[in-house]
Amino acid sequence: MSVNGISNPNPIDIAVSGLRAETSRMNVIAGNIANSNTTRTPSGGPYRRQEVILSAIGEGIGGVTVEEIAADILTEFKRVHQPGHPDADNDGYVMMPNVDLPVEMINMITASRAYQANAAVLKRYEEMINVAIELLR
Amino acid sequence: MIKQPAITEYLEIALRGASLRQATIANNIANLNTPNYRRVAVEFEKHLAEAIADGRQIDLDEIPMDILRPQNTPVDSLGNDVNLEMEVGEMIKNNAMYKTYMRLLGKVYRKMELAIQGP
Repeated sequence: MSVNGISNPNPIDIAVSGLRAETSRMNVIAGNIANSNTTRTPSGGPYRRQEVILSAIGEGIGGVTVEEIAADILTEFKRVHQPGHPDADNDGYVMMPNVDLPVEMINMITASRAYQANAAVLKRYEEMINVAIELLR
Repeated sequence: MIKQPAITEYLEIALRGASLRQATIANNIANLNTPNYRRVAVEFEKHLAEAIADGRQIDLDEIPMDILRPQNTPVDSLGNDVNLEMEVGEMIKNNAMYKTYMRLLGKVYRKMELAIQGP
């Protein structure tokens, strides 16, 4: 009956795992967009955009789970000339987060579309079960 | 000779289990944002299957309907482990089971009706 670590998955559990994965992606995208201009973080330096890493549950059919939420260390910080900024260096440049708004917007569209697709699977499978139940009439 | 429960009795207790599960799901969703709330789950079919596999006299009223709190689900910043999507999934599964039991019960009663009315 549980979603995580299930040995005999059914379409409902799989679709729910997809919904949860896309919610997690949406969470991270929201965080990235909210921090797109954040120059200070607890660990120092500007905000680094986060990325959700998904992994399949088990070999074969078994839904999806969030493996980890990792920082994007490959994209470089943006260097913006803003001499009045308290965090500017001696040359007047501020290191800004490596968040690219267009990229986040595209990820948001794919996340919400994938969420819809998983919800469609859930709904359609429920209808299929109901067809079978109606045979008992 | 061992007297086993009638089909209607099995269906009745299965319906009771499904109703209880529906109540726990509603409770979980109602506590979606309650700090330190852990979701509750019903464990019942497992006990029923064990009793049937046992082969001895089954007293359906003795089958425990455990309400437990699984401790293996991840919690959020509030210490709450309820996930709306998961509860919705459980609800869909439970609804399907409930409907199936109801339909089967209806079928049994219709058979009785047929026997009473005669040809």
